Amino acid sequence: MFDWFDTLFDLVQTRIFETVVQPIAYSLGLMAYSEMAYDGVAWFLYGMLQILLALVVIRPLESLWPAENWPDRRGTRLDIVYTLLARSGLLPLVFFVMLRPLTGALDGWLRLHGLILPNLEDLIPGLSEWPLISFLIYLVVIDAADYVRHRLQHRLQWWWELHALHHSQRMMSLWTDDRNNLLDGAISWFWFAMVSLLIGVPPGQFVLLVSAGRIIESLAHANVRMSFGWVGERLIVSPHFHRLHHAIGTGHEGRYFGCNFGTLFPWWDMLGGTANFEPGFPPTGIRDQLTGVNYGETFLDQQWLGLRRSFRAILGRKA
Amino acid sequence: MKPPLSALSLLLAALATAATASAKPEIVVVLNSGDGTISLLDKGNYREIKRFPVGKEPHHLMISPDGKDLYVANSVSNELVILDPDTGEIRRRVPKISDPYQLGFSPDRKWFVTASLRLDRVDIYKADGFQLVKRLPMPKMPSHLAFTADSSIVFVSLQDTNEIAAVDLAKQEVMWKMPSGKTPAGLYLTPDQKYLLVGVMGEDYINVIDWRAKKSVMKIHAGKGCHQFLPMGDKVHVFVSSRIDSQIDKLNFKTMKIEATYKVPGGPDCMQMTADGTELWTTSRFISKVSVVDLATGKLKKVIRVGYSPHGVYFRNHAETN
Repeated sequence: MFDWFDTLFDLVQTRIFETVVQPIAYSLGLMAYSEMAYDGVAWFLYGMLQILLALVVIRPLESLWPAENWPDRRGTRLDIVYTLLARSGLLPLVFFVMLRPLTGALDGWLRLHGLILPNLEDLIPGLSEWPLISFLIYLVVIDAADYVRHRLQHRLQWWWELHALHHSQRMMSLWTDDRNNLLDGAISWFWFAMVSLLIGVPPGQFVLLVSAGRIIESLAHANVRMSFGWVGERLIVSPHFHRLHHAIGTGHEGRYFGCNFGTLFPWWDMLGGTANFEPGFPPTGIRDQLTGVNYGETFLDQQWLGLRRSFRAILGRKA
Repeated sequence: MKPPLSALSLLLAALATAATASAKPEIVVVLNSGDGTISLLDKGNYREIKRFPVGKEPHHLMISPDGKDLYVANSVSNELVILDPDTGEIRRRVPKISDPYQLGFSPDRKWFVTASLRLDRVDIYKADGFQLVKRLPMPKMPSHLAFTADSSIVFVSLQDTNEIAAVDLAKQEVMWKMPSGKTPAGLYLTPDQKYLLVGVMGEDYINVIDWRAKKSVMKIHAGKGCHQFLPMGDKVHVFVSSRIDSQIDKLNFKTMKIEATYKVPGGPDCMQMTADGTELWTTSRFISKVSVVDLATGKLKKVIRVGYSPHGVYFRNHAETN
């Protein structure tokens, strides 16, 4: 059914790889990594497709049914830069290059001492022959691990100071998903890499797993007055559900330091007592922004302020 | 009249059996490393007849020394999958084989060796029962293997440190390492055991190494991205695939001259030649296809769609690979 899509995708991937990427790898003496680079071209194309899909499907929804009416969208522009950095594959490439030797060394060391970490396929007989089911199970497990990571981002003060940048957007839109401090991103990738190692995600596929829900995450951040209904809200994260996570008053405050931490599925919030399904589309942001606390207007400002506040939190000083 | 009828029905049954047998296609097994599947191709009709999941990142495969089983190495699943080489059906799995990227049995059938490209290890197992004997840490990215005929040494190409290592199989230790050129990949030991040929993937030549003297004696210009070898079985020629220039060269290793060059699309990798010497089959890594070269004309004969990033290829009726 999707053969035409596969054929077209392969054609573009091969053309980019053979005419641009492989000659560069050859001239830089990096041919040992040529197969990874070939996969990298696919990640880049997936990212571009995600952006295209977001523009074609989600952006019109923001115009038709906005949760908030803005006089203009200038406040969302910097988030587009974050999105392009993340979904072009540039940041994932940097994180991957940084982390691969680390995870490889750890896995190799464990094996040298006789321990081969089990794959999910080792625990569930026959799963090897059902790759789609296997993929979905991995997706659910990764999402559960992401819920734990997100809870810690809000709970640990030094981590929150990095993560606050993501929450500081008061014009939350389809571009906000990737608005993150770079160190926060690197730590998150390290988290994914460790979980992937533990459950046996193929190195080349874990990026695909992480990327799989990205279009849902774009929709979840969109400035859209949209709820999935009583049942739907409990099946998958909606723009309404996630807006409450970003809302002043509920998103980063209270007993659990926020609510609705789930990335793709709200199930973990329901199990963990952090789900909030109350109606309404409240304004987004961080409460102290109302009293003038600044999270940066430029890319460098935002990065620097996050790092400084996080460092001060580690030292036990006031931000 | 009963006896003639019985004879007739026996004859008909025999004919039917023969017809069924002849209708059974000759299978080509292709490992699609990127999507973890196996494609089975009908060799006579050049078409894919089945694709099924096998595990994570199957890269290389080899026939067992007795010719009865086909071993597929699933590197990320940490296992061997044993197939029926004639039907492609899965017979059983051998677990706890750590990251087997490349695999090989020593000629004396005593050792089974795997190279772990991702985790920088060479593992030596007893071939009978796959019991791990030694796990040898290696410099970065050990990829291809070649055994000496007396089974005393296995050579390993180290892609990220641009070296060749020689491993003593009896002592299970690295004997020596030497420079090989940028990003060495495929290895081939000439039948007289004199020279080790190295496909230098980061450049455009075959490095001819006098391994006893541990020195390079010649560089034979081939395509850019020299990668894998396949002997033609005549003890004179070997094919070498080149990823970047997308070609396969036919090398006469007696004269050390390239005698023919075949253009193949999509980064040719592993190869298999038909026993009658008429066709050369190769996986085209970067276009998700298997390419078939007509060796009489030197032209591309067929291109067959398979899964993502096809790597190993095998069919039973192939030319001798020693």
